[in-house]
Amino acid sequence: MGAVDLHVSPLGRVEGDLDVRVTIEDGVVTSAWTEASMFRGFEIILRGKDPQAGLIVTPRICGICGGSHLYKSAYALDVAWQTEMPPNATLIRNIAQAVETLQSIPKYFYALFAIDLVNKNYANSPLYEEAVRRFAPFVGSSYQKGLVLSNKPVEIYAIFGGQWPHSSFMVPGGVMCAPTLADVTRSLSILEFWKTEWLEKMWLGCSVDRWLENRTWADVEAWVEENGSQYNSDCGFFIRYCKDVGLDKYGKGVGNYLATGTYFDPQLYGRPTIEGRNAALINRSGIYAGGEYFAFEQERVREDVAHSFYEGDTARHPFEGETKPIDPAVGKKLDKYSWAKSPRYEVPGHGYVPLEVGPLARRVVAGAPGAGSHQDYDPLFSDTISTIGPSIMVRQMARMHEAAKYYRWAKEWLGQINLQESFYIKPVELEAGKGFGATEAARGALCDWIVLEDGKIANYQVITPTAWNIGPRDGEGVMGPMESALVGAPIVDPTDPVELGHVARSFDSCLVCTVHAYDGRSGNQLSEFVVNGMV
Amino acid sequence: MATVLWLQGGACSGNTISFTTAEEPSVVDLIVDFGLELIWHPSLGVELGENARRIFDDVVSGVQPLDILVFEGSVIQGPEDSGRFNMFAGRPMKEWVNDIAGQAQVVVALGDCACWGGMPATEPNPTSSTGLQFHKRNKGGFLGPDFKSKLGLPVVNIPGCPAHPDWITQVIVALASGRAGDVALDELHRPQTFFKSFTQTGCTRMQFFEYKQSTTSFGEGTRSGCLFYEFGCRGPMTHSPCNRILWNRQSSKTRAGMPCTGCTEPEFPFFDLAPGTVFKTQKVSGVVPREVPEGNDHLTYMAHAMAARVAAPQWSKEDMFVV
Repeated sequence: MGAVDLHVSPLGRVEGDLDVRVTIEDGVVTSAWTEASMFRGFEIILRGKDPQAGLIVTPRICGICGGSHLYKSAYALDVAWQTEMPPNATLIRNIAQAVETLQSIPKYFYALFAIDLVNKNYANSPLYEEAVRRFAPFVGSSYQKGLVLSNKPVEIYAIFGGQWPHSSFMVPGGVMCAPTLADVTRSLSILEFWKTEWLEKMWLGCSVDRWLENRTWADVEAWVEENGSQYNSDCGFFIRYCKDVGLDKYGKGVGNYLATGTYFDPQLYGRPTIEGRNAALINRSGIYAGGEYFAFEQERVREDVAHSFYEGDTARHPFEGETKPIDPAVGKKLDKYSWAKSPRYEVPGHGYVPLEVGPLARRVVAGAPGAGSHQDYDPLFSDTISTIGPSIMVRQMARMHEAAKYYRWAKEWLGQINLQESFYIKPVELEAGKGFGATEAARGALCDWIVLEDGKIANYQVITPTAWNIGPRDGEGVMGPMESALVGAPIVDPTDPVELGHVARSFDSCLVCTVHAYDGRSGNQLSEFVVNGMV
Repeated sequence: MATVLWLQGGACSGNTISFTTAEEPSVVDLIVDFGLELIWHPSLGVELGENARRIFDDVVSGVQPLDILVFEGSVIQGPEDSGRFNMFAGRPMKEWVNDIAGQAQVVVALGDCACWGGMPATEPNPTSSTGLQFHKRNKGGFLGPDFKSKLGLPVVNIPGCPAHPDWITQVIVALASGRAGDVALDELHRPQTFFKSFTQTGCTRMQFFEYKQSTTSFGEGTRSGCLFYEFGCRGPMTHSPCNRILWNRQSSKTRAGMPCTGCTEPEFPFFDLAPGTVFKTQKVSGVVPREVPEGNDHLTYMAHAMAARVAAPQWSKEDMFVV
């Protein structure tokens, strides 16, 4: 438990380095171990500190998702201090969370993921030259433009929060800012510019509205063929390329998903509580496991440290979580191999299981029945996994699909800000309490658990999306989601196992991964390479 | 063409991410137009695996000449000085740093963690983190007070949590274009061109500061007043160009209503985040700020404040940043 990986290192590991070991037999990965290799101890640092310290400390866990860390740490304190939140504050928090993700989508796609598409392994594809023209690092036409345009959405973050990354402008009871008219109109203009120049012109080749008409994977297939603009857009090309080189065939993962949800209806979360959270969400929370949907309940989360470099082997709920690091040299003798803890979730009837988090998880959960009128219902990816199954391509498409959705929501929220009304209600700073705050960072579910006693932090635990996805085996020996996803990957060239990079990067973990490939029969190391993993 | 190697220790990647938001020059411009050769970077690098490890080995052996080492993140020394809390490419990262720093023409510490230990070094510093050449305000750090890179320079510190992208891109362009001699450093090894001025220099709340008018609350309260008096803003005591070179080309924390947390100074996070210190001005006798603007003392501060309040015009007591 612990909070995750973050634990001790949770943070540390978030951006730290990840080693992945795999066993390859007959050209296919048969087993995998993901090893986070850096620890910073943020949860230890937070103990005994000012109740609001998390607003300053937790964004520094991850420079990529700093705004998401701020968002959930503010809500954890809102719950603990029982604050009241004006609708404007909810809207601005929603906008800030959304624009951070809108920044991440193209930056991650071009700078981190797509450069692998020009790997020489694909040189025989008839589409290879076109892939190089678009995606080659630093010189590709889409790489250059996409990377620079990805900075536009966070200009909006700076207008409300002063800067991105690493603002702390969300505080219990609301936000620090009170925008002027021009702040809102300029934000709207920046958002429209980004939508036109990148999302529509480069990525989609059609309007946002047209793309969002797609409700099934068959719709998407037809959309690609509908006209030249869509067929030749980066999205149309990406789908065709994935199918040509087989990225729709592997990287399936555990097939069970968790979303903690994000974005609140401003009228429904004026008094943040754990109990009222699920119903107030716009982007819903939930579990999809064994083909069924379940409600998300934070009390069912545990963190297992059986194979993590922490004392003991007890799985704990984060409110009781510990972060007690041990020397890896000692830990390895105890079969421990990662600084990541192993988050597990008790699914009714299934026991404690590993769950994949991230855009695909969010999109599958968005297909659950029973959405309220203010909530997102979107069957595209529940249809997709039931028709073609999850894969690297599907994980990417879920991420890119959200660009259109979040753009539309951010625009709506900007329109709803009432400049004449309040942005902050000063809270009573309670001496004691417990809080839970959560959001969806670009790369998945992100949660804080805070315990306040005597006016200071008694315990603080964070579970990052990276911990959910790259955590090691649990006490039962069950692999984590990324470990599972690596199994079955075909390795064409063991000295350059780009396929492992695709799988690892499709989770968009905030890590630098070193991948070691071993021959399953001889045990000899075949190769080692570094997977760039940030952002 | 200058070669740059970028490594991360106890880092959140915030400085890398901040760097990617640069424009004029953008990251792409630096490489394509300025001919920067990024020989490896944890997230932007092209070389993988064995090739990456070979680069590090070649730099250590001197086969690969290195102009600029950019280090981001703290140097993690624990547990018990083994460095095993942060392994990288098969070795403790601190060993790589030790071997590579000596081969670089210029060593740049980017962000607070690399400059002075930063957030991970906050009490109780569970990983024994430190900076490259400072531990908090004390000279020394991991490389020692006498360290000089091949060009004869101490570690160039570009602090901030994170550093603004322009602070690093402009320094890289300066170093890469033969202007190392123009990079004058202050006593904390920060380029003076950026860090001589105060965070307050250029703040839109400056008139409220002059007339000692306080912001009354967060949210709509920030339509007026200065954040120094009640909300712990460190703008008058912090050296940075945050209000000269705006963030994301748009704004700054103090403009948007957030108190400066002093993140370009070695003490950040101030007071080790002790209870009662976050977003609250520390005071003497409940009235006078414990820390007054740099160069003042309590007596002159109070005399100035009294005169300023008498002189305060009516508009300084009203909202200015209105709809």
